Amino acid sequence: MKQVDSRPMQMTRRQLLLGGGVLAGSLSLGASLTGCGGAAQAAANDIRFWHLLSGGDGIKMMAMIDKVNADHPDFRIKPTVLAWGAPYYTKLAMASAGGRPPEVAVMHAARVPGYAPGGLLDAWDLDLLAEFGVRPEDFGPRIWEKSQFNGQVFSLALDSHPFVMLYNTELADKAGVLGKDGRLAGISSPSQFLEVSRELQRVTGKHGLSYGYLGDGAQMWRLFYTLYRQHGADFVLDPGKPAQVERDVAIDCLEFITSLLDNTISTKSGDGGTAIAEFASQGSGLLFTGVWELPTMKTAGVPLGASTIPTLFGTPAAFADSHSFVLPHQVTLDETKRRGVYQFVASMLKGSLSWAEAGHIPAYQPVVKSKEYAALTPQADYAHAADIINYDPEAWFTGSGSDFQGYFAENVQNVFLGRDKAADGWDAFMKRINTVLAMPNPV
Amino acid sequence: MSTARTIAPAARSQRSRRDNIHGWAFSAPFLVFFLMFLVWPMISGAVMSLTGKSLTGANSGFIGLANYTEAFADSDMWRSLGNTLYFTLISTVPLVVIALALAAIVNMGLPAQWLWRLSFFSPFLLASTVVSLFFAWMYNPELGLFNDLLAKLGIPPVAWLNDPAVAMWAIVIATVWWTVGFNFLLYLAALQNIPQQHYEAASLDGAGGWRQFFSISLPQLGPTTVMIVILQILASLKVFDQIYQMTEGGPGGATRSIVQYVFEAGFTGYRLGYSAAISYIFFGLILVIALAQVFITRKRSA
Repeated sequence: MKQVDSRPMQMTRRQLLLGGGVLAGSLSLGASLTGCGGAAQAAANDIRFWHLLSGGDGIKMMAMIDKVNADHPDFRIKPTVLAWGAPYYTKLAMASAGGRPPEVAVMHAARVPGYAPGGLLDAWDLDLLAEFGVRPEDFGPRIWEKSQFNGQVFSLALDSHPFVMLYNTELADKAGVLGKDGRLAGISSPSQFLEVSRELQRVTGKHGLSYGYLGDGAQMWRLFYTLYRQHGADFVLDPGKPAQVERDVAIDCLEFITSLLDNTISTKSGDGGTAIAEFASQGSGLLFTGVWELPTMKTAGVPLGASTIPTLFGTPAAFADSHSFVLPHQVTLDETKRRGVYQFVASMLKGSLSWAEAGHIPAYQPVVKSKEYAALTPQADYAHAADIINYDPEAWFTGSGSDFQGYFAENVQNVFLGRDKAADGWDAFMKRINTVLAMPNPV
Repeated sequence: MSTARTIAPAARSQRSRRDNIHGWAFSAPFLVFFLMFLVWPMISGAVMSLTGKSLTGANSGFIGLANYTEAFADSDMWRSLGNTLYFTLISTVPLVVIALALAAIVNMGLPAQWLWRLSFFSPFLLASTVVSLFFAWMYNPELGLFNDLLAKLGIPPVAWLNDPAVAMWAIVIATVWWTVGFNFLLYLAALQNIPQQHYEAASLDGAGGWRQFFSISLPQLGPTTVMIVILQILASLKVFDQIYQMTEGGPGGATRSIVQYVFEAGFTGYRLGYSAAISYIFFGLILVIALAQVFITRKRSA
């Protein structure tokens, strides 16, 4: 598994010799099977921090950590980066269950219900947090609401990262779909959206829209849930009961997405990489993607505009999740380290303007309201998305990179490919979800 | 043997005791690992399969055979098992036949033997991640090499990893390319061990190349073939890496292997007890296959 301690090991010659001596000694005593304490033991002020941010996000994260370390000599954050998705979440659960978790970790806010009730996480102490200048009113209402579980605060959001629409301003201008303000003119119905996409396709000669979904359950779910919530429909998962959903709305959404994948507006056979490559090389005018893809497109030199996914079905809504700080449960709590963790998290929240450069919307409102953030384009154009975000339906098996999104892909990909009827794909998905809901909750 | 008879009984037992001590001492390092990493996990896994243990540490206690009853009624478990058997069937045949064909061709005395051996065997040295990445790129429906070649031949594009009817075959193609080299080497070694005189005698009798292959090479390769088939079936049954990396079991669960299902049940679904039960069902199946093979080969050699 990919496990990177991103800080190069710094070892003095004395440490090396000492380590060698200890190793030789333990070998000669035949004690090599009893495990190693010395080398693996962290220094007293080391705070272990696990996160799942790689690529451009990872570089940004590393720079932010370096800054906090430079500002606070009384502790040192030692990050460990693990691969996104199942590898990260299974390791975090196992480390916590096994009593050797890091002092602080990043989780998607929507995954917290799978961890908090099992005692894998500790709740945040709001008084201690206030001591470091972070208060509940510093967060947007939707994000703050999500940070709670059973009346306690289990996660502190660094950002929200909604599913959005990037567009190529130059191509849009050529297609005549730009408004006077230089932004994509208001689209408020499915037929309007199809029309704009077709206009753009005429300009590019290839596709109007890039949407990579093949083999990627998260990506299929993000668009579907955005459109489903735009209908104002609810999606409630209560373990022990069948899912409460609006079947007609769901089928309607699946059919609409399928109608986009007609090989003219968008290719039927696009995966994530294909879509990014296509939009970056100006082969399309629109890209449905997460905000984290913004830096890639800027680097590629695309004349870039950004907005939330247009409200096609009445209610503004966007799928999103948040990278949130959590406290994995410590068997023996080190008070000094825990204070360090609070200090670290407070500093990260206050410094989240640089996190915004990676495309994410900072959760910490003083940053969002700052002049510097307003000057950040096109980020500032979708900052309001934080008011319309929708996290995954709450259950122990949902959230980013969860099995839930995998189940969705299993049953819906064939609908998008035109092989299955929308109703059949949906019913099969619901059957699977209801099976899981009927199982005993393992958390 | 005759000297042994002359040793006094007391001396003999002393010697055998000494032999015993030496024997245990020599086996001890292996035994420690065997007990620690095989026997103990097997016992604790069997115990776990009778509980509702969860990855998050919650343990709902002894629940008898409930996990097994649930598994036998679980259509996804059966489907994953079916996928695994299907993969084993369609991968073992080419992995044996192609390996034999490649070995036979190289053994004909081609120039630059080392080059052939190297090029057939070297893919086997690659990590599964590397192979999966290569093939995922080549299978890409829009930008991939395979569809590009098909287009040049005027054949419409294939959704290699996204068509339930094709995906497993796509994985088999990658697997064959990746692992056929190992069987190829085994066959080549066996071919080179066949005494040259047999062929000389046969050609004096007027036997041609094909005749020699079917009447001399193939029968002489019998034991090697049995070994390769057994090893291959066991290896194919355990398939996980390349499938997980290329399709994650998709599309629609069409390539999900039983090992992946065990992983999902236990590690992403948190249900360790249930996951242990499924792996014991799978273990039972492998045991049946292994015993059947022993039975068949023993009958043959008898």
